[in-house]
Amino acid sequence: MTGFWRTHSSRLITLFLLLPALVGFFGLFFYPMLLTVILSFRPEGQAIGWTLENYTRFLADPDGRWVILLTFILSLGGTALSVLLSVPLALILREKVRGHRFYRLMVLVPLVVPGLIGALGLLLFWGTRGWFNLFLLQFVPFVERPVAVNYTIHGLILFYVWLYFPYTCITTLSSLESLDRSIEEAGEVSGATRWQVLRYIVLPLITPGILAGSVLTFMAAFGAFSVPLIAGGNYRPLAVEIYKQIAVPIPARWSAASAIAIIMGVLQVIFLSLYMRFVRRGGGTGGPS
Amino acid sequence: MTDVMIEFRDVCKRYGTLVANDHLSLAIRKGELMTLLGPSGCGKTTALRCLTGYIRPDEGRIFIDGQDITDVPTHQRELGMVFQNFALFPHMTVQDNVGFPLMIRSLSTTERAERVAQALRLVRLEGYESHYPRQLSGGQQQRVGLARALVYRPKVLLLDEPLSNLDAKLREEMRFEIKEVVTRLEITAVYVTHDQAEALALSDRVAIMNRGRLEQVGTPEEIYEHPRSRFVAEFIGLSNFLEGHVQAVDGDIMVVSVGGLQMRIPALPNAGQGQRVLLFLRPNEVELLRPDDPGGANVFDAQVEKATYLGDTMDYRLTFGQDMTLRVQSDAQRRFGQGAPVRIRFPRVRCWAMTSG
Repeated sequence: MTGFWRTHSSRLITLFLLLPALVGFFGLFFYPMLLTVILSFRPEGQAIGWTLENYTRFLADPDGRWVILLTFILSLGGTALSVLLSVPLALILREKVRGHRFYRLMVLVPLVVPGLIGALGLLLFWGTRGWFNLFLLQFVPFVERPVAVNYTIHGLILFYVWLYFPYTCITTLSSLESLDRSIEEAGEVSGATRWQVLRYIVLPLITPGILAGSVLTFMAAFGAFSVPLIAGGNYRPLAVEIYKQIAVPIPARWSAASAIAIIMGVLQVIFLSLYMRFVRRGGGTGGPS
Repeated sequence: MTDVMIEFRDVCKRYGTLVANDHLSLAIRKGELMTLLGPSGCGKTTALRCLTGYIRPDEGRIFIDGQDITDVPTHQRELGMVFQNFALFPHMTVQDNVGFPLMIRSLSTTERAERVAQALRLVRLEGYESHYPRQLSGGQQQRVGLARALVYRPKVLLLDEPLSNLDAKLREEMRFEIKEVVTRLEITAVYVTHDQAEALALSDRVAIMNRGRLEQVGTPEEIYEHPRSRFVAEFIGLSNFLEGHVQAVDGDIMVVSVGGLQMRIPALPNAGQGQRVLLFLRPNEVELLRPDDPGGANVFDAQVEKATYLGDTMDYRLTFGQDMTLRVQSDAQRRFGQGAPVRIRFPRVRCWAMTSG
């Protein structure tokens, strides 16, 4: 016994240390995943039998396809706007303007505020009687009616941007800050204006960083739940649709919900692998990495 | 003056209480290689950044070719610059790096290619057009930097410690290469460095800076042979300093009392009796004699405290007079051991009057 212990002690210790992770992985991730997959192939409400009906029903239904399209519109729109917002913001923040520490902290606020609270706040702000519309009606000429933001697609995209742009902004900022400033100086001394330096030197160099950051924004937006649940109105992306299958009908349609969840996961994996391939190629900006 | 290319006129730049450039006035002639030399923090880099426009002076004006460029934005100044860390564009090939200034100036593709090829030939980098900077060695990268700076034939070439990121051997090689290119193109160049050997080897003239002020401007010979202050003497080459006071003035010779000894040296103008002076001797300008050699003017007895063999030279620390030490270097043919008595002769002594206090 002692001989066995001596020869295998390090392996046993490794195994022992791995145990919590393994238990967690199987209990909390693998088993539920497996259950979801199995459930998605069971006829609704039955514990036996196999069927593809849960998938075909959702994918054949125009409403189902609209949910998928909507999810992409919201997450890609939110990601694109996040990039457009992050680049100028990061360019300002890296200049260490007065109070830049405070602004940096402000950028992180959406990450720490619970989505629920954030969504409620946004609904209040952008509502027909919110500050946004009060300002428009009060100060902007030719605006006679409040502008609808809440419960519209563009409003929802706006909320997504507020919630998920920090991922993009932080990675953009960090890749900007890792740039050697003398490269930009070299560009300017060579005769390039600030804009030309930005276009030909800075942007190509930070594009990989921006894209990597925007992947995080995209993933978060794709799986968004609480914000569209509260602020989406009739617009229900995949996560909300899954929830609806369980929460609304009685009895709950677990199999339909599972099928949609699997569809969502597969779409995410496919899209991400395409995206990563694009990012790895340098985002088309040339130059092997 | 028409032959002045760059002029700093009373340029001041402060960072809070720190004065980086203190009323800097300096004229650099056309076709001249001027080195700004000084320890770190002396303001040489600030002066260079004022030239590029990356720093705006608080006071004073800067002229390039007679034109006041103090308020001209960097990209319109028509400069070429070589950077300490190369500052190549990492996402562009050598061809595109060197061609960047031409691309910005909207030259046609064919003319661009021609001028890039010409610039690469100048720095002996033909055949590397499609390489990326990270595929090149440090020396090659710096040559790309030099080609990029020269490709659009700027009025002025600025070099910011271009050799300090290279290893010692390459540094010496690149030094000659830069000198050759600059001479061949007859371009006005401003070279910033803290390395005195580099400055002496490269420059037509050297401007030595200290704490934001110009200490001395002159040719390498002038700076080395006739340093105008203790700072310059200490910064360029090795030096011995001895303090003394004038005992008597006899025509153009004065007798200085130093540590209990009398030295006869050329008189300072306006030197009077009692004037405190600082004597300055290069270690290789002291003659070492045998203890039985005949005495004479400015010959003193000394003792070897420490002798170090340096291959081609011997490096001695001597004591003489009352607690005076002297560093002397002589060729290694004739050697003295530690503790040996010697005689030293000062064939040449330079000195400055010291303000009292």
